[in-house]
Amino acid sequence: MNVELTELTRKFGRTQAVAGVTLQAGPGVFGLLGPNGAGKTSLLRMMATVLPPTSGTLRLLGRDPGGYVPRREIRRRLGYLPQNLGYYPGFTVTDFVEYFALLKDMPPMQVPRAVAAAIEQVGLGDRARAKLRTLSGGMLRRVGIAQAIVNEPELLLLDEPTAGLDPEQRVVFRALLREFGQRATVIVSTHLVEDVGAACSEVTLMDAGRIVFHGTPDELIARGVGHGVGDAPLERGYSAVLAAARS
Amino acid sequence: MTGDNLTGGYQDTGPAPGDVDLDRVWLGVAAQVWRRQPGSAERAAGRLLRSPGLARALVTTPSLLLGWVIATVVILLAGIGFTLGTGTPWVALLAPAVAAAGIAYAYGPGIDPAWELSQSMAVSDRMVLLTRALAVFGLNAALGLAASAASGAAAAVTFGWLVPMTAVCALALAAATVTRSPNVGVAAGSAGWVIAILAGQAAEGRSTAAITDSFLVLPYLAFAACCGAVVLFATRIPRGTS
Amino acid sequence: MDDDALIAAVARRDDTALRELFSRHAPWLAARLRGVLPAAEVEDVLQETFLAVWRGAAGYRPQGSAGGWLWGIARRQAALWLRRRGPAELLLPALLAADGRNPGDPAEAALSRAELARAVSALGPEGGAARETWRLMYVEDKSVAEVAELMGVSAGTVKSRAHRARRLMRAALRHHEPVREGGGR
Repeated sequence: MNVELTELTRKFGRTQAVAGVTLQAGPGVFGLLGPNGAGKTSLLRMMATVLPPTSGTLRLLGRDPGGYVPRREIRRRLGYLPQNLGYYPGFTVTDFVEYFALLKDMPPMQVPRAVAAAIEQVGLGDRARAKLRTLSGGMLRRVGIAQAIVNEPELLLLDEPTAGLDPEQRVVFRALLREFGQRATVIVSTHLVEDVGAACSEVTLMDAGRIVFHGTPDELIARGVGHGVGDAPLERGYSAVLAAARS
Repeated sequence: MTGDNLTGGYQDTGPAPGDVDLDRVWLGVAAQVWRRQPGSAERAAGRLLRSPGLARALVTTPSLLLGWVIATVVILLAGIGFTLGTGTPWVALLAPAVAAAGIAYAYGPGIDPAWELSQSMAVSDRMVLLTRALAVFGLNAALGLAASAASGAAAAVTFGWLVPMTAVCALALAAATVTRSPNVGVAAGSAGWVIAILAGQAAEGRSTAAITDSFLVLPYLAFAACCGAVVLFATRIPRGTS
Repeated sequence: MDDDALIAAVARRDDTALRELFSRHAPWLAARLRGVLPAAEVEDVLQETFLAVWRGAAGYRPQGSAGGWLWGIARRQAALWLRRRGPAELLLPALLAADGRNPGDPAEAALSRAELARAVSALGPEGGAARETWRLMYVEDKSVAEVAELMGVSAGTVKSRAHRARRLMRAALRHHEPVREGGGR
């Protein structure tokens, strides 16, 4: 198991952002769905080793991120796209991806090729030497995805990766997710239900800091048959599960 | 010649053979064409720090860029001029504030727009902060010492300001890290230093009291240590979970 | 943008132009190199070719054809590679390909043979009029009258077909001329 969470909680002051999450994940693409404020981002940040849990245990890639040495090892194999990624305006696309490849401790000899591969994978081959300040929002998002995948991570955490991508790019991106899901654990937080249906092998639905559903997209669809509101089967499943959890 | 398709003679050889992966070939080309050649300073830092990532982070420090260093030198040169002209050790009074500004702009959540991402890196944000702050401090100390010596200040003054400079820099760093704003760091460092000078002047009637009084060394160092602890706390990393 | 403009842009260090040039020309260059080299080596040679293009684009003069210039560079890189390898397993087929005659340079011979094969294919599919005329007249060494009789056309038609075949071959071979890398320097 690449990810093992047991009774994980996180409090901010008196707010319980994550209220006891138990979850296991091996290779595959996992969709993390839920309304704003459900605790998706806090959960991802804990898995990205940037936010310590308040209680519970967290094992990533078979290691405990609490210790310096195992945490460093986890981080070498981690790809993380934060929800709000800031950019260095004076850097080129290549500079930016290379910078984080180096900070991920990649062997310097491998870096130029890995950077080129990541940039081509997100479809920015014709912008590789453009300054970040000249790029559109969707392109910047793709630069963020490129830095996340540059080290061929075993654990890939993406917080709202499709924000700002146009429909065609989203289709390409989902194919990329499926490809990574063959080898790595990919966890994608999103509020776009159609991303989940097209790319994810399993769905976890969060509400108020808890997991209220975990299963395949088809199982989520089955929950919505007959009740639930929405335009698509997955949306009806989503709303039905949320309504049941809140009642 | 039209009709014979002579000009297209080379293009009619059809698609690439199935066993040749052109994408892979292009990546090999792109890796060479797009790659950035690290400068000599970065290569030297990489060998010294045994980490190319840390070296790259070091050479992108805002307060180590050429413009910043030139500005520092200009200020210190002006200080030398004032010192020689007025007899007041301006260099010693200016150097800690200049260094504090450099430290505040070395690294931190206010400097790094991708701070959240940087925190998840194998080369940790703390290592980057430490390396950059030490490099900025070292450079400013060296420049300040050179300027102080050039202005003909007494040895007590020349070395005396190193200790308060440490304290002021630590204050600037702590303020910049906690408030996530380098400007607040600069303001706090400068304000702290001005208060120390004015307090020294009020108590003993000399503007250099804050620099030369040896009984102040311990309080300065204790204060610097406290600020260092604040920085460590503000950049603390996930504790053990089990 | 045409090829000349692309190469001029590459000379100005425009990597997107190099990328476009690659996507236009790498497929046929790969196909042609594949005639003399194993697949893995085609990739190496092709990579070196486009890196040489990146470095040498400033020497390109637009009066030649861009395809010929590119092939010249690819050919040089392939010959370099073949010579570096020495008379190992890869040079053996190249030697055999030279028909037992003793070529000055087996690498050159192999490349020339591959180029000739390409030029012949420029005459159209096997059995086509131009290709068949060329085969009968220049490979089997038959006279115009014999060819006319064999193909059931007039002698004038054979002459004009032969003329056209020579013209096509000349044009195709011109693309293969080993233009020196860096062109007019």
